[in-house]
Amino acid sequence: MHSLNDILQAKSIAVVGASGNPEKMGHTLLNNIIKGDFGGGIYPINPKEESILGKECYKSLGDVPGSVDLAVVCVPGKLVRDVVDEAGKKAVKGLIIISGGFKEIGNDGLENEIVAIAKSYGMRIIGPNCQGVNYTGNKMCATWPFVKTKGSIGVVSQSGTIGAEMELLAEKDGIGVSCFAALGNKSDISEVDFVNFFADDPHTKVIALNIEGIREGSGFIEALRAAAQKKPVVILKPGRTEKGRMAVASHTKSIAGNDRLFGAFCRKYGIIRALDLTEFYDFCKMASFVARPGGNRMLVVTSSGGAGILATDTAEENNIDMILLSDGLKSALGKVLPPQCVLSNPLDLTGDARAERFANAFEALCKDQSFDILLPIFGDPIPGAYEVTETLRKKTKAAVVVSYLGGGADQEAEVALMNANRMPVYPTPERAVKSARAVLGLLR
Amino acid sequence: MHKLIEKAAGERRNLLEHECLALLMEYGIAAPRHALVKSAGEALQAAGEIDYPVALKIVSPDILHKSDAGGVKVNLKTGDELRRGFDEILENVGRNAPAAKIEGLLVMQNIKQGIECIIGMTRDAQLGTALMFGLGGIFVEVMEDVSLCLLPVSKDEAADMVRSIKGYKLLAGYRGGEPCDMDAIADAILKIGALAENNPEIAEIDVNPLFAYPRGVMPVDARILLRGSQVPPTNGDLEHT
Repeated sequence: MHSLNDILQAKSIAVVGASGNPEKMGHTLLNNIIKGDFGGGIYPINPKEESILGKECYKSLGDVPGSVDLAVVCVPGKLVRDVVDEAGKKAVKGLIIISGGFKEIGNDGLENEIVAIAKSYGMRIIGPNCQGVNYTGNKMCATWPFVKTKGSIGVVSQSGTIGAEMELLAEKDGIGVSCFAALGNKSDISEVDFVNFFADDPHTKVIALNIEGIREGSGFIEALRAAAQKKPVVILKPGRTEKGRMAVASHTKSIAGNDRLFGAFCRKYGIIRALDLTEFYDFCKMASFVARPGGNRMLVVTSSGGAGILATDTAEENNIDMILLSDGLKSALGKVLPPQCVLSNPLDLTGDARAERFANAFEALCKDQSFDILLPIFGDPIPGAYEVTETLRKKTKAAVVVSYLGGGADQEAEVALMNANRMPVYPTPERAVKSARAVLGLLR
Repeated sequence: MHKLIEKAAGERRNLLEHECLALLMEYGIAAPRHALVKSAGEALQAAGEIDYPVALKIVSPDILHKSDAGGVKVNLKTGDELRRGFDEILENVGRNAPAAKIEGLLVMQNIKQGIECIIGMTRDAQLGTALMFGLGGIFVEVMEDVSLCLLPVSKDEAADMVRSIKGYKLLAGYRGGEPCDMDAIADAILKIGALAENNPEIAEIDVNPLFAYPRGVMPVDARILLRGSQVPPTNGDLEHT
């Protein structure tokens, strides 16, 4: 029996149902695999075409001269059965079946049939009725949208859209993902396979899961517990409300289960729970970077009084301790800061603060150990923000989490530098505080 | 299997209140003095030993909600009140739950009011066994203000369960009141955890209310449901949660 690993590490891919028509899925998939610089053989399969996107086209899987590890299938549902059989004869290791027309429309018989055929050849199936997989570790974008940026967040998602948005958010920040997978009907390969794969995958630092229900006896809970021992796991599991649970039931026909109990489960095993899509991405980003606070005591250094207050409120609501500045620290800060600065927490450097004033404050703070989290908030355009914060980061024991807002083009440039250097930066102070809080859960 | 559980399971019923209290006591949670009686005469004798005032409660495997069936009388101060209470309870139950099998009545030491808490246990086939803590009455029912922790529960986690409910201020000494005995509450949580851990046949535990005082705690009522057993759907079934 082959494994998920054989699919993700495929050395050659056939796209069955590849098309020359740019409006067809079979075109998009082939194009994304080519554009992603997949290093192995790429074989379009279509009996009516000579070549597509510069690749020689074959009439059937059997006609491909070399071996085929993975077949991406996007033919109409009623043709899938024959394709699976042919793939088996070609000794294909795994199938990603994009095509629909199976259990999702009550066609259980057909789905069971293709699963049985695949099994008889030892082949594994992702799908059917799925959005495919992007594994950047193998430059294999067998899905859409096209995302190439390589990163360390491994995303597996019940919802294709939510997973794809995670990829796009990560790409926008320039931090990328290690993997994106949307599993559709999960006739064979499920989240359990991906969780186990991610737990040992050197490209994946954080496991990001969007699930709606948990199948009893699937081993998912056990896999989750084991994976959380190895690396951070972030879960987005919607259906927290009564109506949300009803929506889950109609979307995936699964039971959302007792939400509070699931929350207790996450707390017990150090699994990070995100309540919405923003948190899902933010927490994954935080956990994928190295900053890991040693406790919940926080100091905020800000050029914006208003943003500092938002950070304070969020800290209070999330059981983060806004420390009181010691007299020693106040006097050290007083010596290097102009008189209008407010020597308190938040430490308000006031609106005319530029990078130099932050640097002076950081210098006075970096040896202090009365806080575990240092949150610099850069409000307004402050060039050089990254550099002074990087200098601080090298000297302090505290975890540095940044918020940068209201800074226009300067902000964009600085934030890009921060992301590129794995410094967690968020556009709002609330998101920065909540993300710092989320990874605190990993401490136990 | 614990002999009380074995007996109840054999009779395909859940544990009766005095059996629940016996189990709690076995696990180190002090319960009010009580006695199961079959007649008014036995009740009078038991009350004499327990000391007035006492409470009287119906004991029936078919009645889950005793008050709703008219099966509870509290603060009975004299033998006369006790005798009257005894007759009234049997009358009420005969009317409200005619098919219910009556095991007897429980004479129980009247317990002074404390802060009403609830400690519960529930099992989930996938996630495991969870303990629940909350404040009684509307706090649990309306505000859903409870904390949960999966077994095994450590001492720190039990303390955290007590601290993390929104109504914690009520326990910590509201408006100059003396704070409740947090250690005793956390300790009761741990003991109920042990009860759940050692007895896999138990499906659900509901200690409600557990009175919390500045010193100590006291369970006043408890339900323990067994796996596979159920209250038969007769007239006696007064469950309407």
